[in-house]
Amino acid sequence: MNKDILLGFLHFVLIAAFQVFILNGLNIFGYFNPMIYVWFILMLPTNTPKWLGLILAFLMGFTIDIFAGQVGFHAAALTLIALIRPLFITIFFSGKDIETNLRPSIAEMSLSTYLPYITSLVFIHHFTYFTIEIFNFSEFFLTLLRIICSTIITTLLILLCDYLFIHKRKI
Amino acid sequence: MRNLVRFLKRYSHIFLFIFLEGIAIYIISQNSFYQASAITSFANQIAGKVNARTYNITKYFTYGSSNEALVKENAKLRAMIETSYVKYQHKAFQYNDTIYKQQFEYIDAKVIQKTISKRNNYFMLNKGRLHGVTNNMGVISPSGIVGVIVNVSDNFSLVMSVLHQDSRPNIKNQRTKISGTLVWEGGDYTSGKLVDIPSSIPLKIGDTIITSGFSQDFPEGIMVGKIKKFDKDKGTGFYVVDIKFAVDYNKLEYVYIVKNFFKEEQIQLTKDIKNE
Repeated sequence: MNKDILLGFLHFVLIAAFQVFILNGLNIFGYFNPMIYVWFILMLPTNTPKWLGLILAFLMGFTIDIFAGQVGFHAAALTLIALIRPLFITIFFSGKDIETNLRPSIAEMSLSTYLPYITSLVFIHHFTYFTIEIFNFSEFFLTLLRIICSTIITTLLILLCDYLFIHKRKI
Repeated sequence: MRNLVRFLKRYSHIFLFIFLEGIAIYIISQNSFYQASAITSFANQIAGKVNARTYNITKYFTYGSSNEALVKENAKLRAMIETSYVKYQHKAFQYNDTIYKQQFEYIDAKVIQKTISKRNNYFMLNKGRLHGVTNNMGVISPSGIVGVIVNVSDNFSLVMSVLHQDSRPNIKNQRTKISGTLVWEGGDYTSGKLVDIPSSIPLKIGDTIITSGFSQDFPEGIMVGKIKKFDKDKGTGFYVVDIKFAVDYNKLEYVYIVKNFFKEEQIQLTKDIKNE
Protein backbone atom coordinates (compact mmCIF):
# COMPACT_ATOMS: atom_id res chain seq x y z
CA MET A 1 0.00 0.00 0.00
CA ASN A 2 2.81 2.39 0.91
CA LYS A 3 4.56 1.45 -2.29
CA ASP A 4 1.45 2.43 -4.25
CA ILE A 5 1.35 5.87 -2.63
CA LEU A 6 5.04 6.45 -3.27
CA LEU A 7 4.71 5.30 -6.87
CA GLY A 8 1.66 7.51 -7.35
CA PHE A 9 3.51 10.54 -6.00
CA LEU A 10 6.47 9.83 -8.27
CA HIS A 11 4.18 9.53 -11.29
CA PHE A 12 2.47 12.80 -10.36
CA VAL A 13 5.73 14.76 -10.21
CA LEU A 14 7.31 13.20 -13.30
CA ILE A 15 4.24 13.52 -15.52
CA ALA A 16 3.51 17.10 -14.38
CA ALA A 17 7.16 18.09 -14.99
CA PHE A 18 7.17 16.46 -18.43
CA GLN A 19 3.97 18.30 -19.34
CA VAL A 20 5.00 21.69 -17.95
CA PHE A 21 8.61 21.90 -19.02
CA ILE A 22 8.62 20.03 -22.30
CA LEU A 23 5.18 19.55 -23.86
CA ASN A 24 3.81 23.03 -23.02
CA GLY A 25 6.67 24.58 -24.97
CA LEU A 26 6.02 22.38 -27.97
CA ASN A 27 4.13 23.57 -31.02
CA ILE A 28 3.45 21.23 -33.92
CA PHE A 29 1.62 23.00 -36.79
CA GLY A 30 -0.55 24.86 -34.26
CA TYR A 31 -3.09 22.06 -34.03
CA PHE A 32 -1.31 19.33 -32.08
CA ASN A 33 -1.30 20.03 -28.34
CA PRO A 34 -0.15 16.90 -26.51
CA MET A 35 -1.58 16.69 -22.97
CA ILE A 36 0.01 13.64 -21.42
CA TYR A 37 -1.04 14.53 -17.86
CA VAL A 38 -4.37 12.74 -18.54
CA TRP A 39 -2.37 9.52 -18.35
CA PHE A 40 -1.87 10.02 -14.62
CA ILE A 41 -5.60 9.48 -14.02
CA LEU A 42 -5.93 6.73 -16.65
CA MET A 43 -3.18 4.64 -15.00
CA LEU A 44 -4.58 4.70 -11.44
CA PRO A 45 -5.41 1.21 -10.10
CA THR A 46 -8.92 0.09 -11.06
CA ASN A 47 -10.25 0.00 -7.49
CA THR A 48 -8.96 3.43 -6.44
CA PRO A 49 -11.68 5.07 -4.30
CA LYS A 50 -13.76 7.44 -6.40
CA TRP A 51 -13.25 10.42 -4.09
CA LEU A 52 -9.47 9.94 -4.19
CA GLY A 53 -9.50 9.83 -7.99
CA LEU A 54 -11.49 13.07 -8.12
CA ILE A 55 -9.19 14.91 -5.72
CA LEU A 56 -6.03 13.69 -7.47
CA ALA A 57 -7.48 14.78 -10.82
CA PHE A 58 -8.30 18.23 -9.49
CA LEU A 59 -4.82 18.65 -7.99
CA MET A 60 -3.11 17.50 -11.18
CA GLY A 61 -5.25 19.76 -13.37
CA PHE A 62 -4.69 22.72 -11.08
CA THR A 63 -0.92 22.19 -11.08
CA ILE A 64 -0.85 22.23 -14.88
CA ASP A 65 -3.13 25.31 -14.89
CA ILE A 66 -0.82 27.32 -12.68
CA PHE A 67 2.27 26.63 -14.74
CA ALA A 68 0.46 27.19 -18.02
CA GLY A 69 -0.64 30.62 -16.78
CA GLN A 70 -4.32 29.74 -17.15
CA VAL A 71 -6.84 28.95 -14.47
CA GLY A 72 -9.33 26.12 -14.03
CA PHE A 73 -9.47 24.75 -17.59
CA HIS A 74 -7.28 21.69 -17.09
CA ALA A 75 -8.72 21.10 -13.61
CA ALA A 76 -12.33 21.14 -14.87
CA ALA A 77 -11.64 18.78 -17.76
CA LEU A 78 -9.55 16.29 -15.78
CA THR A 79 -12.02 16.11 -12.87
CA LEU A 80 -14.70 15.10 -15.36
CA ILE A 81 -12.44 12.29 -16.61
CA ALA A 82 -11.95 11.00 -13.05
CA LEU A 83 -15.74 10.92 -12.61
CA ILE A 84 -16.51 8.90 -15.76
CA ARG A 85 -13.44 6.63 -15.65
CA PRO A 86 -15.08 3.91 -13.46
CA LEU A 87 -17.90 3.67 -16.02
CA PHE A 88 -15.43 3.17 -18.89
CA ILE A 89 -13.54 0.58 -16.87
CA THR A 90 -16.71 -1.52 -16.52
CA ILE A 91 -17.42 -1.12 -20.23
CA PHE A 92 -13.99 -2.04 -21.60
CA PHE A 93 -12.36 -4.34 -19.02
CA SER A 94 -13.26 -7.90 -18.07
CA GLY A 95 -14.57 -8.68 -14.59
CA LYS A 96 -11.34 -10.41 -13.61
CA ASP A 97 -9.26 -7.33 -14.39
CA ILE A 98 -11.44 -5.16 -12.21
CA GLU A 99 -11.28 -7.47 -9.20
CA THR A 100 -7.50 -7.92 -9.22
CA ASN A 101 -6.87 -4.17 -8.81
CA LEU A 102 -4.52 -3.78 -11.74
CA ARG A 103 -3.01 -0.62 -13.14
CA PRO A 104 -4.27 -0.22 -16.70
CA SER A 105 -1.20 -0.46 -18.94
CA ILE A 106 -0.11 -2.20 -22.10
CA ALA A 107 1.91 -4.73 -20.10
CA GLU A 108 -1.16 -5.94 -18.21
CA MET A 109 -3.70 -6.28 -21.02
CA SER A 110 -4.07 -6.60 -24.76
CA LEU A 111 -3.89 -3.60 -27.05
CA SER A 112 -7.46 -4.21 -28.22
CA THR A 113 -8.70 -3.58 -24.66
CA TYR A 114 -6.28 -0.81 -23.76
CA LEU A 115 -6.44 1.34 -26.89
CA PRO A 116 -10.23 1.99 -26.92
CA TYR A 117 -10.06 2.78 -23.18
CA ILE A 118 -7.41 5.50 -23.48
CA THR A 119 -8.57 6.86 -26.84
CA SER A 120 -12.15 7.41 -25.70
CA LEU A 121 -11.20 9.03 -22.41
CA VAL A 122 -8.49 11.20 -24.00
CA PHE A 123 -11.00 12.30 -26.65
CA ILE A 124 -13.60 13.25 -24.03
CA HIS A 125 -10.95 15.15 -22.06
CA HIS A 126 -9.71 17.10 -25.10
CA PHE A 127 -13.26 17.80 -26.23
CA THR A 128 -14.12 19.26 -22.80
CA TYR A 129 -10.87 21.18 -22.52
CA PHE A 130 -10.99 22.85 -25.93
CA THR A 131 -14.70 23.58 -25.65
CA ILE A 132 -14.16 25.41 -22.36
CA GLU A 133 -10.97 27.11 -23.50
CA ILE A 134 -12.27 28.46 -26.79
CA PHE A 135 -15.88 28.89 -25.66
CA ASN A 136 -17.04 29.89 -29.09
CA PHE A 137 -19.03 27.75 -31.50
CA SER A 138 -18.40 29.95 -34.52
CA GLU A 139 -15.14 28.12 -35.20
CA PHE A 140 -16.61 24.69 -34.54
CA PHE A 141 -14.80 22.76 -37.28
CA LEU A 142 -11.41 24.30 -36.54
CA THR A 143 -11.93 23.36 -32.89
CA LEU A 144 -12.93 19.83 -33.89
CA LEU A 145 -9.80 19.50 -36.03
CA ARG A 146 -7.73 20.70 -33.08
CA ILE A 147 -9.43 18.15 -30.79
CA ILE A 148 -8.88 15.24 -33.18
CA CYS A 149 -5.24 16.11 -33.93
CA SER A 150 -4.46 16.50 -30.24
CA THR A 151 -6.25 13.27 -29.33
CA ILE A 152 -4.12 11.37 -31.84
CA ILE A 153 -0.83 12.83 -30.60
CA THR A 154 -1.70 12.39 -26.90
CA THR A 155 -2.78 8.76 -27.42
CA LEU A 156 0.40 7.94 -29.33
CA LEU A 157 2.51 9.61 -26.64
CA ILE A 158 0.77 7.68 -23.87
CA LEU A 159 1.27 4.37 -25.71
CA LEU A 160 4.95 5.19 -26.26
CA CYS A 161 5.62 6.15 -22.62
CA ASP A 162 3.64 3.16 -21.44
CA TYR A 163 5.72 0.83 -23.63
CA LEU A 164 8.98 2.38 -22.48
CA PHE A 165 8.47 2.87 -18.74
CA ILE A 166 5.73 0.60 -17.35
CA HIS A 167 6.59 -3.05 -16.79
CA LYS A 168 4.47 -5.98 -15.72
CA ARG A 169 4.10 -6.28 -11.97
CA LYS A 170 5.63 -9.37 -10.44
CA ILE A 171 3.24 -11.15 -8.13
CA MET B 1 -34.00 8.93 7.12
CA ARG B 2 -31.89 5.79 6.72
CA ASN B 3 -32.62 5.83 3.02
CA LEU B 4 -31.42 9.40 2.83
CA VAL B 5 -28.14 8.51 4.55
CA ARG B 6 -27.69 5.55 2.23
CA PHE B 7 -28.39 7.76 -0.75
CA LEU B 8 -25.86 10.36 0.37
CA LYS B 9 -23.26 7.67 1.03
CA ARG B 10 -23.75 6.00 -2.31
CA TYR B 11 -23.48 9.19 -4.32
CA SER B 12 -20.95 11.03 -2.14
CA HIS B 13 -18.41 11.07 -4.95
CA ILE B 14 -20.91 12.83 -7.22
CA PHE B 15 -21.21 15.63 -4.66
CA LEU B 16 -17.44 15.82 -4.42
CA PHE B 17 -17.30 16.04 -8.21
CA ILE B 18 -19.86 18.85 -8.28
CA PHE B 19 -17.95 20.66 -5.56
CA LEU B 20 -14.56 20.41 -7.33
CA GLU B 21 -16.02 21.25 -10.72
CA GLY B 22 -17.80 24.18 -9.09
CA ILE B 23 -14.48 25.51 -7.83
CA ALA B 24 -12.91 25.16 -11.27
CA ILE B 25 -15.82 26.84 -13.04
CA TYR B 26 -15.98 29.59 -10.44
CA ILE B 27 -12.30 30.34 -11.03
CA ILE B 28 -12.77 30.34 -14.79
CA SER B 29 -15.81 32.59 -14.64
CA GLN B 30 -14.07 35.00 -12.31
CA ASN B 31 -11.31 35.33 -14.87
CA SER B 32 -13.15 34.64 -18.09
CA PHE B 33 -11.97 37.72 -19.98
CA TYR B 34 -8.41 38.06 -18.89
CA GLN B 35 -8.29 34.43 -17.70
CA ALA B 36 -5.66 35.18 -15.14
CA SER B 37 -6.32 37.68 -12.43
CA ALA B 38 -6.94 37.47 -8.69
CA ILE B 39 -5.72 33.96 -8.04
CA THR B 40 -3.02 33.94 -10.70
CA SER B 41 -1.42 37.13 -9.46
CA PHE B 42 -0.32 35.05 -6.53
CA ALA B 43 0.30 31.90 -8.55
CA ASN B 44 2.21 33.93 -11.14
CA GLN B 45 4.71 34.91 -8.48
CA ILE B 46 5.56 31.25 -7.93
CA ALA B 47 5.21 30.08 -11.52
CA GLY B 48 7.10 33.17 -12.65
CA LYS B 49 10.03 32.31 -10.44
CA VAL B 50 10.15 28.73 -11.71
CA ASN B 51 9.81 29.93 -15.29
CA ALA B 52 12.56 32.50 -14.78
CA ARG B 53 14.83 29.67 -13.62
CA THR B 54 13.95 27.57 -16.68
CA TYR B 55 14.49 30.58 -18.88
CA ASN B 56 17.95 31.06 -17.39
CA ILE B 57 18.85 27.60 -18.62
CA THR B 58 17.16 27.71 -22.02
CA LYS B 59 18.30 31.21 -22.98
CA TYR B 60 21.76 29.90 -23.88
CA PHE B 61 20.27 28.03 -26.80
CA THR B 62 18.78 31.13 -28.38
CA TYR B 63 21.66 33.57 -27.82
CA GLY B 64 22.69 33.33 -31.46
CA SER B 65 19.52 34.62 -33.05
CA SER B 66 18.71 37.20 -30.38
CA ASN B 67 22.21 38.67 -30.62
CA GLU B 68 21.68 39.04 -34.32
CA ALA B 69 18.40 40.88 -33.72
CA LEU B 70 20.08 43.18 -31.17
CA VAL B 71 22.93 43.96 -33.50
CA LYS B 72 20.45 44.87 -36.23
CA GLU B 73 18.54 47.12 -33.89
CA ASN B 74 21.75 48.78 -32.70
CA ALA B 75 22.66 49.47 -36.28
CA LYS B 76 19.27 51.01 -36.92
CA LEU B 77 19.48 53.20 -33.82
CA ARG B 78 23.03 54.24 -34.64
CA ALA B 79 21.78 55.44 -37.98
CA MET B 80 19.36 57.73 -36.19
CA ILE B 81 21.71 59.53 -33.78
CA GLU B 82 22.87 63.05 -34.37
CA THR B 83 26.33 62.13 -35.65
CA SER B 84 24.80 60.11 -38.46
CA TYR B 85 23.29 63.23 -40.00
CA VAL B 86 24.95 66.00 -41.88
CA LYS B 87 23.74 69.42 -40.86
CA TYR B 88 22.77 71.38 -43.92
CA GLN B 89 21.13 74.18 -42.00
CA HIS B 90 21.92 74.82 -38.37
CA LYS B 91 18.50 76.10 -37.50
CA ALA B 92 16.83 72.83 -38.51
CA PHE B 93 17.90 70.97 -35.38
CA GLN B 94 16.61 72.19 -32.07
CA TYR B 95 17.06 70.42 -28.76
CA ASN B 96 15.28 71.16 -25.49
CA ASP B 97 12.57 72.73 -27.54
CA THR B 98 9.06 73.64 -26.48
CA ILE B 99 7.41 72.46 -29.67
CA TYR B 100 7.84 68.74 -29.11
CA LYS B 101 6.78 66.99 -25.97
CA GLN B 102 7.65 63.36 -25.37
CA GLN B 103 4.58 61.15 -25.66
CA PHE B 104 5.91 57.61 -25.49
CA GLU B 105 8.42 55.96 -23.18
CA TYR B 106 9.67 52.39 -23.46
CA ILE B 107 10.38 49.88 -20.70
CA ASP B 108 12.51 46.95 -21.82
CA ALA B 109 11.53 43.44 -20.70
CA LYS B 110 12.27 39.80 -21.36
CA VAL B 111 9.73 37.13 -22.26
CA ILE B 112 10.01 34.36 -19.69
CA GLN B 113 7.05 32.23 -20.69
CA LYS B 114 4.98 32.02 -23.83
CA THR B 115 2.38 29.98 -25.65
CA ILE B 116 1.77 30.18 -29.39
CA SER B 117 -0.07 26.95 -30.08
CA LYS B 118 -3.34 27.64 -28.26
CA ARG B 119 -6.37 29.51 -29.59
CA ASN B 120 -5.65 32.30 -27.10
CA ASN B 121 -1.99 32.97 -26.42
CA TYR B 122 -0.23 34.88 -23.65
CA PHE B 123 3.34 35.93 -22.93
CA MET B 124 4.75 36.51 -19.45
CA LEU B 125 7.30 39.30 -19.00
CA ASN B 126 9.86 39.79 -16.21
CA LYS B 127 8.78 43.39 -15.45
CA GLY B 128 5.85 44.22 -13.20
CA ARG B 129 4.14 46.87 -11.10
CA LEU B 130 7.42 47.76 -9.37
CA HIS B 131 8.91 48.74 -12.73
CA GLY B 132 5.97 50.96 -13.63
CA VAL B 133 3.97 48.54 -15.75
CA THR B 134 0.16 48.86 -15.62
CA ASN B 135 -2.74 47.17 -17.41
CA ASN B 136 -3.56 48.04 -21.05
CA MET B 137 -0.04 49.15 -21.98
CA GLY B 138 1.04 48.12 -25.47
CA VAL B 139 3.97 45.75 -26.02
CA ILE B 140 6.22 45.83 -29.08
CA SER B 141 9.38 44.02 -30.11
CA PRO B 142 12.28 45.33 -32.22
CA SER B 143 10.63 43.89 -35.31
CA GLY B 144 6.97 44.70 -34.66
CA ILE B 145 3.74 44.57 -32.67
CA VAL B 146 3.34 41.98 -29.86
CA GLY B 147 0.25 42.62 -27.70
CA VAL B 148 -1.30 44.37 -24.72
CA ILE B 149 -0.66 43.95 -20.96
CA VAL B 150 -3.71 42.40 -19.28
CA ASN B 151 -2.48 41.47 -15.82
CA VAL B 152 0.31 42.76 -13.58
CA SER B 153 1.85 41.38 -10.40
CA ASP B 154 4.71 43.00 -8.47
CA ASN B 155 7.50 41.52 -10.57
CA PHE B 156 5.80 40.01 -13.59
CA SER B 157 3.20 40.94 -16.17
CA LEU B 158 1.02 39.00 -18.60
CA VAL B 159 0.62 40.05 -22.24
CA MET B 160 -2.42 39.18 -24.34
CA SER B 161 -0.63 38.63 -27.66
CA VAL B 162 -2.09 39.46 -31.07
CA LEU B 163 -2.57 35.67 -31.30
CA HIS B 164 -5.80 35.94 -29.27
CA GLN B 165 -9.48 36.10 -30.17
CA ASP B 166 -10.04 39.29 -28.13
CA SER B 167 -7.06 41.11 -29.64
CA ARG B 168 -8.17 43.63 -32.28
CA PRO B 169 -5.47 46.28 -32.80
CA ASN B 170 -6.12 49.07 -35.29
CA ILE B 171 -3.76 49.02 -38.29
CA LYS B 172 -3.23 50.82 -41.58
CA ASN B 173 -1.66 50.28 -44.94
CA GLN B 174 1.57 52.27 -45.13
CA ARG B 175 1.11 53.08 -48.83
CA THR B 176 -2.61 53.91 -49.04
CA LYS B 177 -3.17 55.04 -45.40
CA ILE B 178 -6.44 53.08 -45.31
CA SER B 179 -7.03 51.64 -41.84
CA GLY B 180 -8.55 48.37 -40.67
CA THR B 181 -8.45 45.83 -37.88
CA LEU B 182 -6.07 42.93 -37.28
CA VAL B 183 -7.59 39.64 -36.09
CA TRP B 184 -6.19 36.14 -35.63
CA GLU B 185 -8.27 33.05 -36.32
CA GLY B 186 -6.07 30.41 -34.72
CA GLY B 187 -3.80 27.80 -36.21
CA ASP B 188 -0.75 29.22 -37.95
CA TYR B 189 1.13 31.67 -35.71
CA THR B 190 2.97 33.26 -38.63
CA SER B 191 -0.07 34.73 -40.36
CA GLY B 192 -3.08 36.86 -39.42
CA LYS B 193 -6.12 38.44 -41.09
CA LEU B 194 -7.18 42.01 -41.73
CA VAL B 195 -10.85 42.99 -41.71
CA ASP B 196 -12.81 46.24 -42.27
CA ILE B 197 -10.66 47.33 -45.24
CA PRO B 198 -12.98 48.75 -47.94
CA SER B 199 -12.54 47.03 -51.31
CA SER B 200 -12.83 50.29 -53.29
CA ILE B 201 -9.13 51.08 -52.92
CA PRO B 202 -6.77 48.64 -54.68
CA LEU B 203 -4.23 46.68 -52.63
CA LYS B 204 -0.94 45.09 -53.69
CA ILE B 205 0.67 41.89 -52.50
CA GLY B 206 3.64 42.85 -50.35
CA ASP B 207 2.11 46.09 -49.02
CA THR B 208 3.45 46.95 -45.57
CA ILE B 209 0.95 47.03 -42.69
CA ILE B 210 1.74 49.25 -39.69
CA THR B 211 -0.11 50.34 -36.55
CA SER B 212 -2.41 53.29 -37.12
CA GLY B 213 -1.81 55.14 -33.86
CA PHE B 214 -5.57 55.56 -33.40
CA SER B 215 -5.61 53.51 -30.21
CA GLN B 216 -3.80 54.82 -27.15
CA ASP B 217 -1.76 51.65 -26.72
CA PHE B 218 0.65 51.82 -29.64
CA PRO B 219 2.55 54.65 -31.31
CA GLU B 220 1.97 55.09 -35.02
CA GLY B 221 4.09 53.14 -37.48
CA ILE B 222 4.98 49.96 -35.58
CA MET B 223 5.45 47.10 -38.08
CA VAL B 224 2.68 44.50 -38.18
CA GLY B 225 3.40 42.53 -41.33
CA LYS B 226 3.15 42.26 -45.10
CA ILE B 227 0.16 41.37 -47.28
CA LYS B 228 0.39 37.76 -48.47
CA LYS B 229 -2.95 37.30 -50.20
CA PHE B 230 -6.25 39.19 -50.58
CA ASP B 231 -9.77 38.56 -51.86
CA LYS B 232 -12.81 40.73 -52.31
CA ASP B 233 -15.73 39.68 -50.16
CA LYS B 234 -18.60 40.26 -52.59
CA GLY B 235 -21.34 40.52 -49.99
CA THR B 236 -19.87 43.22 -47.78
CA GLY B 237 -17.64 45.39 -49.94
CA PHE B 238 -14.64 44.70 -47.74
CA TYR B 239 -11.41 42.88 -48.44
CA VAL B 240 -10.40 39.64 -46.73
CA VAL B 241 -6.64 40.00 -46.40
CA ASP B 242 -4.04 37.47 -45.23
CA ILE B 243 -0.82 38.92 -43.86
CA LYS B 244 2.47 37.46 -42.76
CA PHE B 245 3.50 38.79 -39.34
CA ALA B 246 6.75 40.74 -39.16
CA VAL B 247 7.55 39.14 -35.79
CA ASP B 248 8.42 35.48 -35.31
CA TYR B 249 6.43 34.94 -32.10
CA ASN B 250 8.06 31.58 -31.51
CA LYS B 251 11.48 33.22 -31.14
CA LEU B 252 10.29 36.30 -29.25
CA GLU B 253 12.64 37.15 -26.38
CA TYR B 254 13.27 40.88 -25.82
CA VAL B 255 10.33 43.29 -25.93
CA TYR B 256 9.50 46.91 -25.07
CA ILE B 257 6.47 47.97 -23.03
CA VAL B 258 5.01 51.23 -24.34
CA LYS B 259 4.08 53.92 -21.85
CA ASN B 260 1.85 56.68 -23.25
CA PHE B 261 2.06 59.91 -21.23
CA PHE B 262 -1.13 61.33 -22.75
CA LYS B 263 -3.27 58.22 -22.39
CA GLU B 264 -5.34 59.43 -19.42
CA GLU B 265 -6.04 62.67 -21.23
CA GLN B 266 -7.11 60.88 -24.42
CA ILE B 267 -9.41 58.49 -22.55
CA GLN B 268 -10.90 61.33 -20.50
CA LEU B 269 -11.75 63.16 -23.71
CA THR B 270 -13.83 60.24 -25.03
CA LYS B 271 -15.44 59.74 -21.64
CA ASP B 272 -16.58 63.36 -21.50
CA ILE B 273 -18.62 62.91 -24.67
CA LYS B 274 -20.25 59.71 -23.42
CA ASN B 275 -21.30 61.35 -20.17
CA GLU B 276 -23.21 64.09 -21.88
